Amino acid sequence: MWSEPLAADIAEYGSAVLSWVEPSGAPISIRCRVRLQPGTHTITFEGLAPIAGAWRGKACLLFHMHDARLEGLRQMVVKGELAPAADGSLEFRATEFVTANGRPGTDRMPHAGAPLHMFQFYRLGRSKAKAYLAKRSAPWPPIPFEQIARDVGRAQEADQAQEADQANKAGQANEADRD
Amino acid sequence: MNGTALPPDVEAVLRRFYTCEFTTVARDGQPMTWPSVPYFNPETGMIVCAVSIAFAAKAYNARRHPQVSLLFSDPTGSKLSDPPAVLVQGEAQVDEVLEYGPDIIGLFKTVAARQPDSRRFTTNPIVRRLFIWYLFQRISLTVTPRRILVWPKGDFTSEPIEIEPGHVV
Repeated sequence: MWSEPLAADIAEYGSAVLSWVEPSGAPISIRCRVRLQPGTHTITFEGLAPIAGAWRGKACLLFHMHDARLEGLRQMVVKGELAPAADGSLEFRATEFVTANGRPGTDRMPHAGAPLHMFQFYRLGRSKAKAYLAKRSAPWPPIPFEQIARDVGRAQEADQAQEADQANKAGQANEADRD
Repeated sequence: MNGTALPPDVEAVLRRFYTCEFTTVARDGQPMTWPSVPYFNPETGMIVCAVSIAFAAKAYNARRHPQVSLLFSDPTGSKLSDPPAVLVQGEAQVDEVLEYGPDIIGLFKTVAARQPDSRRFTTNPIVRRLFIWYLFQRISLTVTPRRILVWPKGDFTSEPIEIEPGHVV
């Protein structure tokens, strides 16, 4: 379904990821700059990657962004078709917007700072999870939370030790250079 | 593929980009791309992502059509300077996360490091129980790379360089 609010959001993204499926069956993606043509459901490209020049048929555009703490998440997908435009360039004919947050009119993912959205997301997710588990032949086994926390902690400590070791070696190399 | 066989700048991208754009193919041939947090295991050369059982379309698609791709094109948060963009095409193995081996622990560790606020959920027993379907009841997609394309400095207007994935452990 076309969404005017989501279409308006396209301009807020600096770029998008265009994906297509090669004849071999392997999906392929590139990042590109896009422009929604006013009054149409057509998206055009600016400086499209040469590798995508021959792509035709079903495709999708992903718009997403996050900050340096992986927060402020926004994401939406536009499904559509790649086809030649009148001027011979490639254009994307959009057919449907898809969001990942259970709400059709916004690309903003739920966040703990917005309790209503989080509650909506919780209800949607719990409902879908129940449906998944109902189809499963057996209940999901208990989760070993403590074991997971312990193993993640150990892995983090190993990373920190490795980083410290690398920094130490880099420091020694610098000292050797000075000598 | 052994991780050390990759050029250092490519391996850095696989290790340090916060998200990749993960594409699966739906039953009707429609590609669907969503961002995903990847964990690159340098020992095996595999890349692991996971989805909640509540939002498992990616897993269903990959189970039916194992050919997937992962584009690493958003360096936000990576602290890398002028990194290349990297496309990994490969085959996905799809499994419910019922055991917690190095790949899954590596993925959990990666999420905790990149999204520090997520610890408010994973460390609070009440919230953890409420969101167990999102945090822990998950399906992993373990990708064996088959083809890697690299765009130096993330410049997609140039022709990509193809890298041989080599041996995968």
